Amino acid sequence: MPFLAYIDPGSGSMLLQVVLAGVLAVPFFFRRVISDGLHRIRGNRGEREDAKPTEGGEDATPDR
Amino acid sequence: MPSLPKAARTPPPIADPPMVDPASFRDPSGFVFRRDGVLYRQVQASAADDWAAFISTGLYERLAADRLVVDHVVEPPELAALPDSVVVIRPRMIDVISYPYEWSFSQLKEAALLTLELQSRALDVGMRLKDASAYNIQLDAGRPILIDSLSFEVAAATAPWPAYRQFCEHFLAPLALIAHRDARCGLMLREFIDGIPLDLAARLLPGRTRFNVGLSAHIHLHAGAQRRAANEPPPAAGALKKERRISATGQRALLDSLRRTVEGLRWKPSSHWSEYASTTSYSDVATASKGELVREMLVAVGGRLAWDLGANTGVYSAIAADAGYRVVAWDQDAASVEAHWRRVRGTGAPAILPLILDLANPSPAIGWGLEERASFLGRGEPDLILALALVHHLAIGNNVPLHGVARLFARMAPRAIVEFVPKEDPMTRRLLAARRDIFEHYSIDGFREAFGASFNIRRETPVADSPRTLFLLERR
Repeated sequence: MPFLAYIDPGSGSMLLQVVLAGVLAVPFFFRRVISDGLHRIRGNRGEREDAKPTEGGEDATPDR
Repeated sequence: MPSLPKAARTPPPIADPPMVDPASFRDPSGFVFRRDGVLYRQVQASAADDWAAFISTGLYERLAADRLVVDHVVEPPELAALPDSVVVIRPRMIDVISYPYEWSFSQLKEAALLTLELQSRALDVGMRLKDASAYNIQLDAGRPILIDSLSFEVAAATAPWPAYRQFCEHFLAPLALIAHRDARCGLMLREFIDGIPLDLAARLLPGRTRFNVGLSAHIHLHAGAQRRAANEPPPAAGALKKERRISATGQRALLDSLRRTVEGLRWKPSSHWSEYASTTSYSDVATASKGELVREMLVAVGGRLAWDLGANTGVYSAIAADAGYRVVAWDQDAASVEAHWRRVRGTGAPAILPLILDLANPSPAIGWGLEERASFLGRGEPDLILALALVHHLAIGNNVPLHGVARLFARMAPRAIVEFVPKEDPMTRRLLAARRDIFEHYSIDGFREAFGASFNIRRETPVADSPRTLFLLERR
């Protein structure tokens, strides 16, 4: 599988990206765990309308 | 007499040779070309697997259904312009091609968020967006859409995103500069076709942006990382290129951080021009009369596509849209275009596309061979231009002789609705207030003479309760 790109990704940019992805993954992971947990609690109460976006549905692109 | 050779084949129908688009050379996986005026895209054999995955994973179908990627029709392979083709498609055409230096803040921001959304959806199916060029996005019926259907490739789940740098240069840097420095920084994209260099963005941004986590990481630290990498010695000849890895969570975290950073950037449009419509001196009678006259002339022309020049926040663009036109509303003021775009988006009036343009110095052709991005005059011809309350700004504000204004308008479209604002009008008096009146030919007779050289005057009607006159013109 190719990992090289046709554009120049920049060696400094690639290195920074790897470092940032490692650092950002920690809070991102915990935020997701917390929000999944909240969804599950709400889901158990039968209020889970917005838990999972319908695939390809209208809500896939909210008004940005 | 020797007999003529028997194989008197009927000659093939004469068709223009296919013309490869001069902007379509950077990515070897395919290109865009025109054949008999129709636009096609050819996918090369080297990208066959990526194209197959784009289709077979259902990614294309979902993105096209959600209007995030331009839809296309698959055409017979014989239409290919060059060898090594695996498929030829005909993408749906966009009304008018526009470039990021003609977009207002929200237009660029929405294009940035679309790019991140596309990368996220690609990751869902084991693919990725291989570039993040703002030129791959166009504004279509009131929203951004990706026009480069060849931007997706199969990628390992742990591969870093090669377009990270491009995303920061094409989107994040100009958005941050507009939000934190000045809206006119968006025009820098006209100079830097590959996006704003991050070291420049870092120097121009106010120091307080270092305390914004996203901008600090993706612009300030990023610029530093690039500087350090540039000072490293080149790798030894034949050395293996290092393959870096990122976890799947890291991929999502990076995208999430970019999205939050972009969403956190805000710009409040406020300028003399965006409040212009409410600060003018017209009476209600004059406003109603002008609106009605413009409507009558638009209907009389009965065209399809109109360009409203100096559209401001779009009062007359709306009248044209009501009369059944699709309208491109050009204005030099970023705040007016921003206000116009927000209103158009809010009311869901996709017939109007507001864009930034200074008619006194319009977008030039730029890029390789000056052919990559077309000039303002190379973007096709509308059926009609509207130039309302504009000519006095060009003729007096910018010293362009009336003949010159007429000639430019005649180059742009076969018909024009033009308003003449005489010297006694308060708005023209304001333009002349602090300067010597060197405009002896600026009169209604001078207007008729100058525009009469390029156009036939089809109709000339004064606006009620106002010294102004509206002209309907047809190119000679």
